[in-house]
Amino acid sequence: MYRKQVRRRRAVLALLIVGSFVLLSLTYRQGSDGMQRGVSTIFSPVTSVADRALKPARDLVNWFDETFDAKGENEDLHTELETARRQAVGKKAALAENEQLRKLLGLENGGAIPGGYTPVTGRVITRSPTVWFSDVTIDVGSGDGVEVDDPVVNGDGLVGKVAAVTGGTARVTLIVDSSSAVTAKLVPSGVQGLMKPSVGDPEDLILDFLNSEKLIGKGQSVVTSGWRAIGYESDYPPNLPIGEVDEASLQEQEAQQQVHIRPYADLRNLDLVDVLTGGSRG
Amino acid sequence: MILTPNILARLVAIVIGGVVLQLTFFSRVALFHVSPDLLPALIVVLGLLGGSLTGAVCGFWAGFLLDCLLIVPLGGGSLVLLATGYLAGAFRERFEIHSALVPPLLCMGLTLFAELGFGAVELMLGMDAPVSGLVVRDILLKSIFAFFGGWAIYAGVRRALRPALVEESTVRRNRRPSPLGT
Repeated sequence: MYRKQVRRRRAVLALLIVGSFVLLSLTYRQGSDGMQRGVSTIFSPVTSVADRALKPARDLVNWFDETFDAKGENEDLHTELETARRQAVGKKAALAENEQLRKLLGLENGGAIPGGYTPVTGRVITRSPTVWFSDVTIDVGSGDGVEVDDPVVNGDGLVGKVAAVTGGTARVTLIVDSSSAVTAKLVPSGVQGLMKPSVGDPEDLILDFLNSEKLIGKGQSVVTSGWRAIGYESDYPPNLPIGEVDEASLQEQEAQQQVHIRPYADLRNLDLVDVLTGGSRG
Repeated sequence: MILTPNILARLVAIVIGGVVLQLTFFSRVALFHVSPDLLPALIVVLGLLGGSLTGAVCGFWAGFLLDCLLIVPLGGGSLVLLATGYLAGAFRERFEIHSALVPPLLCMGLTLFAELGFGAVELMLGMDAPVSGLVVRDILLKSIFAFFGGWAIYAGVRRALRPALVEESTVRRNRRPSPLGT
């Protein structure tokens, strides 16, 4: 009897392990959209209700955390800062572009400024618990016009892009996820590079492959460049604010051609985001 | 653990409730800049109370649900959490829990194991990005949160599953006064 129990237990365990590996390989070979879409659709109202119900409790805990760090900021000042920052980055980007346009003497812009994007506002309803995946789920999906690869922003700047959609939800891969790579440029210097995360530190992004003689200084703004690198397809329209240079040592710039960027968006405490739907692709 | 349909329903509710609470609450709050991950601790407690098989099955389904709700590749979460639940249950089957400190300590240790497991799965599947040293701080703090969360989770889940626990029913039977009043 005992042996039979042990044998049965081992069989179930083996089945679960095999099941996990089958799920892993199936997901990587052909995806598992159908199954996940089904489960996500069933649980989406539950998570949405839980998200709203738990918001006061979350805010309370986060308030304690922020108080400990003396980060309690006045809301009006914060809004003012956001507006000023957006204006400053926008002006710097416009000045840089203006300068380039002057140099190009009448050559067409070539569609650098994207048009036709329609923002769809969504609320973050779940977040990955592990530091290894930086994903959030939002409560808008294909039913609202959201498509895979749509850029996602909040009031501060670029947040990430849509990685998967269901009818009423979408998974947003944040710019600090290990799979993320964004082609970016510094303004006003115009130096271009590829921005990748430093896994585990949501306040540190690395702008890599800087191919420039210009020295980069702390505090320069970084915006999306909108171009595509081989192997790194950017789906972001140009001139979306990302962050500013936080650390730019001479040694790192010369030896590794990289600088450190601090994102504008507070990626730990995302709540409302805009998905830029439509727009030009290609 | 004596599995009846009623207990099975409670287990399902605990796993679903745990995953939903983790994703909508714990993952979205920060203490010392780190979000607590109490799902491995919940699976550890289920393994401790129900044994290795219950732990493994609950871990598998919790991981599956987690991956589905996060719309991330399936299988990774299931594999890590089933191993976590199995190890907790195996510990329970081999050793007696003499001290009240054992469950939270196990929650802490196996959360550390689970977080490293998530990292290992991610690395195994290919990660083309540098890893910051802050990962270590994140994992250690998550384990410490699991230690404190483990107390509450163990007490709560034990209360919810009390009718199914063999030890509890034995203790209650023994406490019943005899007809002779001795």
